[in-house]
Amino acid sequence: MYQTTRCVFKSKLNLKNVFRVCSTAAETATTTKEQERITSEGIRKKFTEYRYIYPEFLPSPEIKFRNAIREKLERKDMVARRTQIAIPEFYVGSILSVLTSDLHSPGKTEKFVGICIKREGCGLRAKFILRNVIDHEGVEVLYEMYDPTIQKIEVLRLEKRLDDELLYLRDALPEYSTFDVNMEAELLTEGAPVPINPIKIKLKPRPWLERWERKNLQGVEEINVPQHLWDRAAKSAKPWEKYDLMKTYMNTIPEEEQIEIFDEVKTQLQKLEITRKKMKRKRTFVKPTKLA
Amino acid sequence: MSHVLCNVFHKRAITLLEEKFRALIITNNEIIRDKYTVARPKLRNPTWFTKKHRSLEPNFLTHENREFLSEIIQDRYNHIRPESVINTNIEWNPKLKRSGLIGRKIGVYPLWLKNGRKIATTLIQVLDNHVIKYIPPEEHNPPRKRVKQIINKKGCLLIGAEAADPSLFTKEYCGLFKNSGVIPKKILGRFLISPEGILPPGTLLNAMHFPVGHYVDVRGRTIDRGFQGVMKRHGFKGMPASHGVTKTHRRGGNIGGGGEKGRVWPGTKMPGHMGNRFRIAKGLKIWRINTKYNVLWVSGQAIPGDCNSVVYIYDSCLPTRKPKEPIPFPTYLLEDELPEDIYDKELHCFDEPSIIFDGST
Repeated sequence: MYQTTRCVFKSKLNLKNVFRVCSTAAETATTTKEQERITSEGIRKKFTEYRYIYPEFLPSPEIKFRNAIREKLERKDMVARRTQIAIPEFYVGSILSVLTSDLHSPGKTEKFVGICIKREGCGLRAKFILRNVIDHEGVEVLYEMYDPTIQKIEVLRLEKRLDDELLYLRDALPEYSTFDVNMEAELLTEGAPVPINPIKIKLKPRPWLERWERKNLQGVEEINVPQHLWDRAAKSAKPWEKYDLMKTYMNTIPEEEQIEIFDEVKTQLQKLEITRKKMKRKRTFVKPTKLA
Repeated sequence: MSHVLCNVFHKRAITLLEEKFRALIITNNEIIRDKYTVARPKLRNPTWFTKKHRSLEPNFLTHENREFLSEIIQDRYNHIRPESVINTNIEWNPKLKRSGLIGRKIGVYPLWLKNGRKIATTLIQVLDNHVIKYIPPEEHNPPRKRVKQIINKKGCLLIGAEAADPSLFTKEYCGLFKNSGVIPKKILGRFLISPEGILPPGTLLNAMHFPVGHYVDVRGRTIDRGFQGVMKRHGFKGMPASHGVTKTHRRGGNIGGGGEKGRVWPGTKMPGHMGNRFRIAKGLKIWRINTKYNVLWVSGQAIPGDCNSVVYIYDSCLPTRKPKEPIPFPTYLLEDELPEDIYDKELHCFDEPSIIFDGST
């Protein structure tokens, strides 16, 4: 859904660029206005990127659950929590390590490293699932993003995958969801786009937990199922849904509203971002890695 | 002679009949045979009921005139102040009954306790509650009388919420608010209170009426689900999907035996209309209060009603959750500056550092 909206927005931008090219040829005097427009557009573009960085700040688009005051209070609480803990930018497919306080573990803390296979919920209910294979057994942990028992969330490898959900890793060979527990964080240059990992994984033979042949998965090698299942998949497919503008509208928050929402929290979020960057720089200088 | 005998016979017959009737009455008391065990929703109009909305005809007012009218409304209703001073010198005791509040259910979201446990809370926004009228116990004559004898009769406090443009309402409806000086309100509610806790018309009630840690009952109209089957309405299991079962997958099955009991017993759970009735969620704790937006965080996620629906909030009537310590008796009066958020002491605030368990805990 987001992808489709993003595509639409991109095409709009392109159109605008084309117009701008035409107009600059005709009139060169109004450069200041142009610049203003460009900067405002830049800000706008940044906000539109916020919906991928902070997707949980957008409320549920279900109309019957919406209330402006509740959403405002929820956002306030979220920002308040973010002042205490750095919740970094991450996507489905990124590898995270989460440190939580656990009453029942011997050291009273527990660390888990794994790949994010799902990210869902909005507001204070935002959650994500981490998956890893530990001692030849698949382990998944669901974390609530704003749970105060979480002490630290660290992104070890920031990347995206070809799909919005990686739940098919449950039916894939274990090597695809095995990650080193003592993995070190890989640094990305600042301002660089988030890399997309084009890896295609191999599924185990059936039986599966879900009918993966129906999901139009991009990050999976060719799926071997009998022809009658493909036929059934074709029968149940709804290829017209991506053209259903009304459905997209009902399932997304309009862009104007998104700008309004991020306008409210942007100063606080930017401040938090800057402090986090400072801390990051400090840490890299203070703690050099030991070689040999 | 025959006449006299006839009289005697008559008297005997009557006494016999009386005895028989008495016996019948006793047996009738034993058999509980009521048509409806659950009270049907009836339209019970309140005592102050008048026609609320008037038919809006297109009035061709110019923009300036419209502004002028809104100015008049603002001038008239901007400075609402209670006529007399509220008596705050009454010592609170558990037998006294306070007024409730009118609110709006605005959503559900989780909060965390200091021990790391997650709780679901419902947010209730307390609206602009103004006292409109007080009916003393002697004059209060409700249309619905359940108990014959009431020992400590309560007075009736009429409270309105959600100010609206008076031109939307009829003249009679606006007349309800005339003596209080309050702008006509969309929502009205009546609360039975002890005569000691009388509040003068025009008093504004706020969310701090209920202190944090206090227990409340919340009354609301449940979601109207229409005519529903037995599985949704009463949580029946239904019938198997296969194994030769035909045409009965979501049906209730048998509804009774034969013989003496060969009829549908009253109160049998069957399909029918579901929802759209007033229900009370009792004994809900107040975890947090936002004084800026007048919002209460109340435990639980099953408060009757849809999101954005009107609810009525009362002090809890449950014996173990009734207030024991003194509470702001007639109501809480805003005097000094309050912090924006007031938390229960068990609750973890979001701007506190993460929860860390020591070895001792």
